[in-house]
Amino acid sequence: MTSTHFPHTDTPSAELHGLSLSYPKGDLVLNSLDWQLLPGQVVGLLGRNGAGKTTLLETLLGLRDPQAGSVKIFGQDATRLDDAVRARIGYVPQQNDLFEGFTATQLLAYFKSFYPRWDEARVEGLLSRWEIPRDRPIRKLSGGQQQRLSIIRALAHEPDLLVLDEPVASLDPVGRRDFLRELVEQVLDRGTTVVFSTHILSDLERVAFNLAFLSQGRIALQAPLDELLDQVRAFTGSVSEMAGLMGRLGAQALKRTPLEAGRERVLARLPANVALPAGVAADRVNLDDLFAELT
Amino acid sequence: MDPTHFVHINTGSPEPIYRQLIEQVRRRVAAGQLKAGDEIPSVRELAQALAVHPMTVSKAYSLLETEGVLERRRGLSMVVAAQHQRAQSTADRVELLRPTLEKAAAESRQLELSKTQALTLFKSILDEQAP
Repeated sequence: MTSTHFPHTDTPSAELHGLSLSYPKGDLVLNSLDWQLLPGQVVGLLGRNGAGKTTLLETLLGLRDPQAGSVKIFGQDATRLDDAVRARIGYVPQQNDLFEGFTATQLLAYFKSFYPRWDEARVEGLLSRWEIPRDRPIRKLSGGQQQRLSIIRALAHEPDLLVLDEPVASLDPVGRRDFLRELVEQVLDRGTTVVFSTHILSDLERVAFNLAFLSQGRIALQAPLDELLDQVRAFTGSVSEMAGLMGRLGAQALKRTPLEAGRERVLARLPANVALPAGVAADRVNLDDLFAELT
Repeated sequence: MDPTHFVHINTGSPEPIYRQLIEQVRRRVAAGQLKAGDEIPSVRELAQALAVHPMTVSKAYSLLETEGVLERRRGLSMVVAAQHQRAQSTADRVELLRPTLEKAAAESRQLELSKTQALTLFKSILDEQAP
């Protein structure tokens, strides 16, 4: 799709290697984490509360210094980005950082001065469509309006990498759908690389072609959602049966859960295009199941 | 064709969205609601209408093209393939329902329902949904 419409490059939009970071109290949040975001990918970042999603996204953007490892954005060290690369990044933080004394008009005029590109028509269109009061101080806007304004600010300069940390938490279902459409348009028009964290799995299912599961400080698994739904099955049986079955199927166990009486439940990924032999019982899984088992 | 009513999708299903799209288009072609030469929404239109990633739509369309349900016209638009002049025979259409009913039958056995109980439910569902 997008690769035919855009000058394609294989240089990752973001590349993280051996990233380790602990909080001052000493908890290890990122543990030698490796991750790659390729051009045009929309990656949903999944993790439990406290798993370190925000920390990971902030480190990716060069806003936090890791104790070990490196982050490159468009080939540049994230802690020393030049203005040209900075201008290619859009970010919607979890806690919006809009200047509360400004009006929407003043805020956008201020940011516009920093960027070489600025899509005025789109900004105007979104302000109207999303009904954001332009001349009222931002602190007087509702949470949802502030969040929409934060999204408009992040989209206005046509970023090539868009980082969204829980961008829809204060939006109602209609607002969320509207936002997802904007995201789809961004991908269609520019081939933007998007990384997106949210607990609203139905939103991720729509727009995130790829999913990344953050668990115990690492990206435990990254794969296209379609492939996971097609290939992952849950099996139940005795530990020895399961070991034999995984071997015969060439399946990769993703999660084992011990049950009573020497039995276990195994969530496993079958090789592509391998059908289950007749008589092997397995349950299909949905995105909620994947989230529950893999994060 | 209005892309917002062309197909609908369910999130939270074990069925990936691209498969949901494939099956709905297949059924509508089998029923004769979509016929040879009918233009279907572009990848862009459908991705925007459903708010799904364009790659999901283009994946479904390519597989439908490989199956011979759709064909690509000069340019980029996709149309229903020439062989689908009219609705498929009743027998063929009934056959398309088999996988879903096999699943329902298996679940009905697990629940230890009698044939009559299961069929009564199916009948009443058919009646409810009748236009």
